[in-house]
Amino acid sequence: MNAAAPLIHIHDFHIHFGSKKVIEGLSFDVARGETFGFLGSNGSGKTTTIRALLGIYRPTSGTLEINGKVFSDDFGSRLGYLPEERGLYKKESVLDVMTYFGRLKGLSKQNAQAFSRQYLDRVDLVNKADVRVDKLSGGEQQKIQLGVTIMNEPELLILDEPTKGFDPVNRRLLMDIIEERKEAGATVMMVTHQMEEVERLCDRIILLKDGRAEAYGTIDEVQNQFGGRTIKLKYSGNLPTSSHYKVALHETNYAELSVDESIDEAQILKELVLAGVVVRGFVAAKRSLDDIFIQIYGEEVAVGSTGTAPAGNTQGPVK
Amino acid sequence: MARHNLGTVVQFEFTRTVKKRRFWIATLAIPVLLAIVFVLVFVSSSSAQNRTEQQKNQSLDFSYTDASQLIDPAVATAMGGRVETSPGTAVERVKEGKLNAYFSFPATITKEPVLVYGTDQGIFKNGTYDAVAKQLVILSAQEKVGSAELTAAVQGNFSTEAQTFKDGQPSGGLETVVPPLLFLVLFYVVIILLANQMLASTLEEKENRVTEMILTTLDPTTLVVGKVISLFLVGAVQALVFSTPMLLGYVFFRGQLAIPDFDLSALQFQFLPMLVGALLFIGGFILFTGVLVGIGAVMPTAKDAASVFAPVMIMMFVPFYVVTLVVSDPGSMIVQVFTYFPFTAPITAILRNAFGSLNGVSAVIVIAELFVFGLLALRVAVHLFRYGSIEYSRKLSLRRAFTKKG
Repeated sequence: MNAAAPLIHIHDFHIHFGSKKVIEGLSFDVARGETFGFLGSNGSGKTTTIRALLGIYRPTSGTLEINGKVFSDDFGSRLGYLPEERGLYKKESVLDVMTYFGRLKGLSKQNAQAFSRQYLDRVDLVNKADVRVDKLSGGEQQKIQLGVTIMNEPELLILDEPTKGFDPVNRRLLMDIIEERKEAGATVMMVTHQMEEVERLCDRIILLKDGRAEAYGTIDEVQNQFGGRTIKLKYSGNLPTSSHYKVALHETNYAELSVDESIDEAQILKELVLAGVVVRGFVAAKRSLDDIFIQIYGEEVAVGSTGTAPAGNTQGPVK
Repeated sequence: MARHNLGTVVQFEFTRTVKKRRFWIATLAIPVLLAIVFVLVFVSSSSAQNRTEQQKNQSLDFSYTDASQLIDPAVATAMGGRVETSPGTAVERVKEGKLNAYFSFPATITKEPVLVYGTDQGIFKNGTYDAVAKQLVILSAQEKVGSAELTAAVQGNFSTEAQTFKDGQPSGGLETVVPPLLFLVLFYVVIILLANQMLASTLEEKENRVTEMILTTLDPTTLVVGKVISLFLVGAVQALVFSTPMLLGYVFFRGQLAIPDFDLSALQFQFLPMLVGALLFIGGFILFTGVLVGIGAVMPTAKDAASVFAPVMIMMFVPFYVVTLVVSDPGSMIVQVFTYFPFTAPITAILRNAFGSLNGVSAVIVIAELFVFGLLALRVAVHLFRYGSIEYSRKLSLRRAFTKKG
């Protein structure tokens, strides 16, 4: 296999469940060694795409390949998959469960047990090796789940909403694990709604909406595709309304303003000062992924938003 | 990696079942209960036998009158009896406790009862009077006949050995029926013992939300086959544990446990009926396994699955309701329907095969039908498992499952 060839290749992928068209002509690649963010609102088809990629669903049409082939359980020994719906065999001991998954991933019993003990030691659960999984706390079970995911030192890590339900300690552990696997040269594909994680970890991203790609590329490229900037404003006084910006975030004496590419930042500053606003901080930056996400999925996420106003309904470029 | 993983699945599923305390409590409960019953039977049987022996041979103080002329005075004297000189007061004397017992033998003992009167000695010992009276008649009759052979003949204490022929060959009797019926016992035990475990085992991945992690490391067919094999092994362990006390009882305590004296060496294992029985058993097992896995894959929880599973079990065992017809009138409409309907076919056909009423053509049709439906059911079950087990908390829509191009 050509080392330059992408590890994951998806081309013109369609999947229909009865009359419902879930994915429509999706195409993207994930290069070897990169960390790839797979973004989209709930129901946009992310989990379906991953399940189809991993052979759990069969596509209606199109190509879904890992390492140049349709996924089979032979690749399972090189894959670490943390699904959105996750669990463990609850009535078995921690060590038995980890050893079982290790063996299914191609490790010998000795190696699976050695890895398990080493990992349990790392996460301070070595004294619970013989305890039944359902006797562990939720956080402890999450740690075991992560251990099972990486116990074969996978070269491809697919994480579907990995931080969902995780407490801060386990979120930190997950981030460490992702960093470690990245350093080891593994490819990481992660579905997440946490934009700060995406900005920190991902080399490239794809944003999916209603089964179609809304944006695709490096974070810079996506930010450029959507244009505009965000002005982070610290101020006192009354913030005036204006046709030159939209208020994306408004807190006491702080606001984030979405500004169109064509508008000069100096003009905004002048407008604010003339309106009597005392400007204490004024930083212009490219629009955050959060901002872009809200722009794309505004109507869908507005219902459950936590005060963040949609920044408009401008459609971004479609690949 | 499939073969390696099959072994891993079998080992994991088998080990975790037999490692559970609950499994051994449930498994050992039956032999322990059997052992308790055996001990009780043994103790009661021994004490009853001893009592009968004691009563039979006991010398009892009694008087008697004999209108039948059957009683031998010498025998009666030897047993502690004497001829009653004043029969009119005998019963009164017994009532007053002045006479221990009084027997009145009628003129025709086959038409009238022997009247036995005795002083109360407790519910168990009171049986002694009746036993002594009967023994007195038997021994006196033997004395009159003068031949132990004739007495045995009259009492039917002799055996016969029958041999019948079919197409010039010995056709055998019960000795040829029993061996193929072992498959019926095996089928019954396997399904009863394993059905619930099979259902629970199939639902486990779904209930524990591990399906996706499993399906990305393992082919669903390997998982399902691994589960079936491990459950079969679990069933074998249970069958061994259950049968051990019975075997020990049969070999060492047959007499004391009142187990019928069945000469196992007389059993005739005929090749064709045994082969047909084995194939019917395997085909039936595959069919029911496939159906159970399918039910487990479609339903979200064991509780939901149980409501669908119950009618399947009822269908399976419904042929037992017409077992007399299966044996005596295999050509009847109902037996014919049960023979070819897949869910009732295993038990009906195994019974008919054992009793020799399943001809070659019918056997081939039923075996082929069971294997075809069984493998089809397994294939559909694996498909349903692939899609049903990720519908974690919902019942799988069959229409949706089959539009997923599996």
